[in-house]
Amino acid sequence: MATIGHIALILALLAAIYTVIASLAGTRFGFRHLVTSARSSILTVFGLYTLALALILYAFTTKDFSVKVVAEYASHDLPAVYTLSALYAGKAGSMFFWGWLISLFAAWLVFQARDNHQRIMPYAIAILAIIEAFYIALVTFGVNLFEKHPSPPVDGFGLNPLLQNFGMLIHPPLLYLGFAGFAVVFALVMSALITRSPGMGWANHVRHWTLLAWCALGIGNLVGMWWSYNELGWGGYWAWDPVENAGLMPWLLGIAFLHSIAMRRQRNYLQIWSFCLITFTFAFTLLSPFITHGGIESPLHGFYGSPFPPYILAAILITLASSLWLLYSRRHDLEREEKPASLISREGSFLLANIILVVLVFIIFAGTVLPQAIGALGWTKIALERSFFDRTCGPIMLILVFLMGVCPLLGWGRSVWSSAKRNIMYLFLAILVIAVAILISGIGNWYIAVAIVCGFPFFIILQEWYRGTRARHHTRGENFIRAFFALINSNRARYGGFLAHIGIILIALGVIASSFYGIERTATLDIGESINIGEYKLTYHELTLKQDNVKVSAIADIIVNRSDGLKGIMHPSYDYWFSHEDHFTEVAVRTTPAEDLFVSLVWTGFDPKDKSATFRVLVNPLIVWIWVGGGFFLLGGVFAFSAKEKQLFGVEV
Amino acid sequence: MKKRYLIGGLILIILVGYLLYLSFGSSVSYYVTVSEFFARGTELHDTSVRVAGKIADSPVEWNAEDLELKFTIAEGGEAMTVIYHGAKPSGFIAGSDILVEGKYHSDGIFRAGQLIMKCPSKYEIKE
Repeated sequence: MATIGHIALILALLAAIYTVIASLAGTRFGFRHLVTSARSSILTVFGLYTLALALILYAFTTKDFSVKVVAEYASHDLPAVYTLSALYAGKAGSMFFWGWLISLFAAWLVFQARDNHQRIMPYAIAILAIIEAFYIALVTFGVNLFEKHPSPPVDGFGLNPLLQNFGMLIHPPLLYLGFAGFAVVFALVMSALITRSPGMGWANHVRHWTLLAWCALGIGNLVGMWWSYNELGWGGYWAWDPVENAGLMPWLLGIAFLHSIAMRRQRNYLQIWSFCLITFTFAFTLLSPFITHGGIESPLHGFYGSPFPPYILAAILITLASSLWLLYSRRHDLEREEKPASLISREGSFLLANIILVVLVFIIFAGTVLPQAIGALGWTKIALERSFFDRTCGPIMLILVFLMGVCPLLGWGRSVWSSAKRNIMYLFLAILVIAVAILISGIGNWYIAVAIVCGFPFFIILQEWYRGTRARHHTRGENFIRAFFALINSNRARYGGFLAHIGIILIALGVIASSFYGIERTATLDIGESINIGEYKLTYHELTLKQDNVKVSAIADIIVNRSDGLKGIMHPSYDYWFSHEDHFTEVAVRTTPAEDLFVSLVWTGFDPKDKSATFRVLVNPLIVWIWVGGGFFLLGGVFAFSAKEKQLFGVEV
Repeated sequence: MKKRYLIGGLILIILVGYLLYLSFGSSVSYYVTVSEFFARGTELHDTSVRVAGKIADSPVEWNAEDLELKFTIAEGGEAMTVIYHGAKPSGFIAGSDILVEGKYHSDGIFRAGQLIMKCPSKYEIKE
């Protein structure tokens, strides 16, 4: 069966290569039937790829340990839910699954555009087929996914306990969805450039795919943070690890690209800029596998002995070189660019946000790659502490959040100060109210600056909504609730964007509060002893030892009291897994809107007589708003996605 | 108009450069292996440094009362005693690759502020 899978993949590779040739030759020399056959063959790639996927999933479900990857990542006791996790836990499996998503998207695109965009589609199909061929070649000739085990074991090694978590079940596929989506956007934009089709017909496709990719990637990153927080037991969610940065950079570039195409819908700004942005976004999606497969040292996540990095690096360089060369060769065909009349205008603030985002990505990229590059070039190896990223990226991100508030105040085109004056008045009023509120509550000085920066755009957005709703209420006589929904429905792209901004503001709030105001304590306790942290008093009540055939667990009962009474019992545990000969902690988290109480059991001797145990306890303020913010930006993305074409190109966005 | 963009760009570059320079300088530390560390004599004593090695087979001492973890890392024939304030992280097994961040003191002990399990095989079998 493994052989059938391998053959299916090789056939898929051949079909992908045929697609490239047929599609390009067909459109170049005007053979319509060749172009049509290319469409069928890219569907064939999808079919064969899906067959291979079904076969490998079948091998995982039936625990067929004669297939090497199954023996390495699955075991008889692995819950069925994690079959998919076991597939993308491996170096070949992860690339395989990602490649499959691209083939799915390519098929979807062919289906979506079967009647229109005849000019650019053959090129888009060819570009996607090249990308597909690259992935298939990696998992057939680089590492053979269907490699047979020389001596099939009775039971497999099993999936790492850290990966047996709901977050890890959906985190990788969400990232791959995002990365694969950006591949489609890249293919569309490049084919428009090749065929000199700067028109708007395909722009809506680009927008849809970008939103899809960007949302999936953003949620994927957040789920990764959630997993890190709830599973790794260190109490944090972001470490500026190269792997994390690799997921963040394409997402940030994606934001810049989304805003630059929003500007393009209004005026002919930033064409070259947009082309560059999507090229780098796509190229940067390849940084993630480059790092995880060992191209850059990452303590957090890495595949052992993967042969992929040189190929991936080559793919990144070829992508950048060919795209930039193409752009250079087409420079005269691009429409004459207008320049924003004034920086104090909507497009001016979009432009500024774009520049800041690119600077941010540049800094993260430098911090990720430079220490490694310096070592690789033979100079003294250096390491960069996370404080580098906190100090550089923190302030820049705050500026971006602040810009979210400035932007809606400004109109398109030449916006003179006088028209913005009234808005500025509201702004200062809002700031004043927040500042006074904070001074009265006496939280502290730092909070004031932060709250103003985060509160300002929040109030501006609310004010925008209020004014729009009131206007409708007056002119059309709709009641306030109806007017509000009619308002946001009338321009879904704009109001979806606002929702996403609110999400980002909430995330910023959670990140800032938990980074600056978290408290942490570690202590070893005997039964009956307690530890005080913040307003909490935690009493170690009991330790229960449990054993099954996978692990032995020590589960603690912690009684949580606060100044206002009993809050409940928490059960952090410390597990020793026989398969990995190692211990893992299962943290307990008590979430409230104001703060999280995070308890992890970091050591105990598994001794029924001496139950002393070490606990790490953290109070993380406002952390839940990071996840709530994620919900908001997903909502905003979906809402913007549903915008009708008419709204996009007629009304002000 | 063009001039204005040029000036704006220049200011931006200077600001970003200054920010990078400030943060890079204070966040950067040497990254050496255990044997490289000792090969430099006392040069890297009492400075923030990241040292890579493998957790040695020698017994790991854990003092639960003082929350002190004492162990030895080795590489290239050299060994270094490390004290860390905190419990063993997952993956802390003899033979595993580890990075320790901290300072080496004249008493011959490396006091680590952070342990990073550098475990390329973390999610896989060791081949």
